[in-house]
Amino acid sequence: MRKRTKPIVVVSSSDEDDEKQHHTHNYKSSLLTSSSSSSVPPRSKKSKKAPRLSSSCSKSRIDSNPFDQVKLFCEGFDDGFTGFQVLAEEKNKKKELWVDKYRPRTLEELAVHKKKVEEVRTWFEERLKKEKQENNNHVLLITGQTGIGKSETVRVIASHLGAILYEWKTPTPTIWQEHVHNSGSGIRYTSKLDEFENFVERIRKYGLISSSDKKGSQKTHFLLIDDLPVISGKVSYERLRCSLHLLVQSIRIPTAIIVTDCGQSDSADYSMRCWEELQLSIQSAGACKVAFNPITVNSIKKTLSRICREEHKKVTTEQNDLIAKASGGDIRHAILSLEYLCLKPNPMLSLSLSDGNPTYPEVRSELDDGNLLPFGRDETLSLFHALGKFLHNKRATQNSVASDNGAFCLKDQYMRSPLNMDAPEKVLCQAHGQAKTVTDFLHENVLDFINEEAIDDAWTVSSYLSDADTLLASLGGLLIRNYEASNIVQSAAASVAARGVLFGNTHPLSSRWHAVRRPRMWQVEKSMWHNKREMVSQRSVPCNGMNLTDFSIITTEWRPSLKWLGFKASHSEAVHGVPINGSIVEDGGYDDPMCIDEQSAQTTDDEIEDW
Amino acid sequence: MLWVDKYRPKALDKVIVHQDVAQNLKKLVTEQDCPHLLFYGPSGSGKKTLIMALLRQMFGASVEKVKVENKNWKVDAGSRTLDLELTTLSSTHHVELNPSDAGFQDRYIVQEIIKEMAKNRPIDTKGKKGFKVLVLNEVDKLSREAQHSLRRTMEKYSASCRLILCCNSSSKVTEAVRSRCLNVRINAPKEEEIVEVLEFIGKKEGLQLPFGFAARIAEKSNRSLRRAILSFETCRVQQYPFTNNQLIPAMDWEAYLLEIASDIMKEQSPKRLFQVRGKVYELLSNCIPPEIILKRLLYELLKKLDAELKHEVCHWAAYYEHRMRLGQKAIFHIEAFVAKFMSIYKGFLISTFG
Repeated sequence: MRKRTKPIVVVSSSDEDDEKQHHTHNYKSSLLTSSSSSSVPPRSKKSKKAPRLSSSCSKSRIDSNPFDQVKLFCEGFDDGFTGFQVLAEEKNKKKELWVDKYRPRTLEELAVHKKKVEEVRTWFEERLKKEKQENNNHVLLITGQTGIGKSETVRVIASHLGAILYEWKTPTPTIWQEHVHNSGSGIRYTSKLDEFENFVERIRKYGLISSSDKKGSQKTHFLLIDDLPVISGKVSYERLRCSLHLLVQSIRIPTAIIVTDCGQSDSADYSMRCWEELQLSIQSAGACKVAFNPITVNSIKKTLSRICREEHKKVTTEQNDLIAKASGGDIRHAILSLEYLCLKPNPMLSLSLSDGNPTYPEVRSELDDGNLLPFGRDETLSLFHALGKFLHNKRATQNSVASDNGAFCLKDQYMRSPLNMDAPEKVLCQAHGQAKTVTDFLHENVLDFINEEAIDDAWTVSSYLSDADTLLASLGGLLIRNYEASNIVQSAAASVAARGVLFGNTHPLSSRWHAVRRPRMWQVEKSMWHNKREMVSQRSVPCNGMNLTDFSIITTEWRPSLKWLGFKASHSEAVHGVPINGSIVEDGGYDDPMCIDEQSAQTTDDEIEDW
Repeated sequence: MLWVDKYRPKALDKVIVHQDVAQNLKKLVTEQDCPHLLFYGPSGSGKKTLIMALLRQMFGASVEKVKVENKNWKVDAGSRTLDLELTTLSSTHHVELNPSDAGFQDRYIVQEIIKEMAKNRPIDTKGKKGFKVLVLNEVDKLSREAQHSLRRTMEKYSASCRLILCCNSSSKVTEAVRSRCLNVRINAPKEEEIVEVLEFIGKKEGLQLPFGFAARIAEKSNRSLRRAILSFETCRVQQYPFTNNQLIPAMDWEAYLLEIASDIMKEQSPKRLFQVRGKVYELLSNCIPPEIILKRLLYELLKKLDAELKHEVCHWAAYYEHRMRLGQKAIFHIEAFVAKFMSIYKGFLISTFG
């Protein structure tokens, strides 16, 4: 975005286009004070330009002062800017991307669901009404996956309500090499987190001191925090959490914090969990949360066809459909794909359009095949779907199996009808399934799908799962540093598990509704570690402190007999806290990051818990 | 204090079982130089008792002044430093630890911690440099790498440090380590010996033992002395004076496994398999070691099984026990065994009874 430009950091951009823009912009802002009128052709826009000029003037002045990160985003500025942009375009012969061009300007244009927009709008309106009163709740947390118009909604609402939107954007990255290069020039390296902390500190102490609008100070202000600094590791997470917590509790300006959710399937990742915890902590500090859903296929289609109309491009409804579906609710991506599609010289398509002839079905069939799609992302499946495929074990009906296996014959017991799905490996790949997770899920759920009579099948399946586990365990040893090998082992294990389940279950139950459970094993493992740690910590108790007992002996002999003897009564402080045998520790530990063991942390996966 | 601790012999002279071993150990220590020792034998046979008695013989009563510490160790492993937590039990003369607690990081424990301990030699009263004794438990659970580095440690610090290793099965200790130690096999005590010990305790406690009662406990104890004494005390709490037909309580997990076994015998279906899985989870979450679960389950199942199936069932139990040691998640393998058993047993039932 051009608006983000700051004169100090011009060096950082390596991209040529960016460079040019920076230069022009720089050039402009340096010119502005002296001879701005000469560079701008006299137009009717002059009146509109006035605020913009003043703002950028002040901006260039305040660049060195601490408030430079707060960006002005008011309408007037925007307009003035586009006025300038036209100029720049003429110079660069550069077209704006559709994503920017068709940025929604009004509430109606937003593709986000009406209710969500309304929710956000009422929230802001309430803040406006009660602004004078004492109100603790000044922060709105907006979550949702990427490209569904979270920031855009806030912007549009702000302009709708006639408020000035200030935005925190992480300043242009100062990368390390650059810092080293510039180290002579007196610019100090600060991490993004530092900068964010400073910003929060200032905004808490002084509020927004708007340097730009001296006249229009009657206007209300909103603050938008879009781009939270990246966190890595516990320390930075803790810092970010603290500063956000402070911000939420003490800020007096209506503020929207936007946190982007990442795909659910990858949420086993540690940093993903961090973000979730962060959201919770923001909420617990008193923020109000609105979760945006992915944009529906229909409203994406609507937007796409509107753009097509305005651009006078002919795109078939099928193509629109495909783009909308492939985008997975990401409207930014959908628009980009559309632009790409229209950009692409597609002789076949134009041919078919001009002729309206039999070539058309071909095009269509090509488009139907997801793999040949020239745009869009790869098709993804949720882990849930993939598991469903394996568990339900859909196969072609018997009669379709012709006697084409003349090459080599299998014994009857090994014969299976062909699968009614893609190769299991492909399904796994689409689901981004990690071998461990997939195996655990299959193990937990497969027994529900096996016919009551078929205990042999159950054995076959569990034997394959046992094989898969053995494969996975071979990673633990020497292979740990050999990523390539471990990759192969992983996928082999997942494949053995999936195919084992498919092969073993010869008499799948007729499909009826089954809930896919979250593996209970994870909970069991967790409580096992918990119990174990507790016991290890008091291992010296049994032998009267004389020596350390083997662990297995504690569990199998000491504790049961201690229970028999009612040992607790006499030595209550010594054995206090030993959970009574036969009880599983409740699954409450997930919220407490300190309590999660290394081993269990690898397997816990909060997202899936909801299923 | 439990009777097991109360009547644990403190000196080598006082032991009732393994008197011969005790005498030999005493002779070994009085001749001043002591080699590294490897005690092995089934659980409940008195390895630990002998080790403690031996230490007392070597250093006197001061070894009984021990302190338990939960130490955090920072180990430099190549590019990164590891934080390990380990419980140790130490006196001025010896340190006892369970290196296998560190899991797959046991190698570093062996390399670093033992090295460090071995370096700090105590100086005895005469100003002579003495040696320290390291007692390592559960050596058979150490990984191969750890055992290798153990070997090196033994060679390097043999002047300042004696190792006493303790494990159940010497077959899981590498040849190299075994050959550097004096191997001491501690047999499981015979039932008569157990009876002798029980009667000794009974006399000390002033209890009336009906004839054959101690023998019954001994029989139930599976030749584990600790087990026998524990259940003896349990019986005492449960009912005294003893009667001859008094029920000797089993451990709760054993009772639970018995229940699982009868579940398996009653019905063989995926649904039942699922229920069994739930029960096994219960045991696992209470930290009953999976090997023991499998072993005990097999034992209970075999009791009820026809002779002609026993061979096959044992084969599969062994197969999945091996798998379990190779694998990570015990439940997969236990369940596979149960499923296989169900499948075999169901086939058998159908073929015999139609």
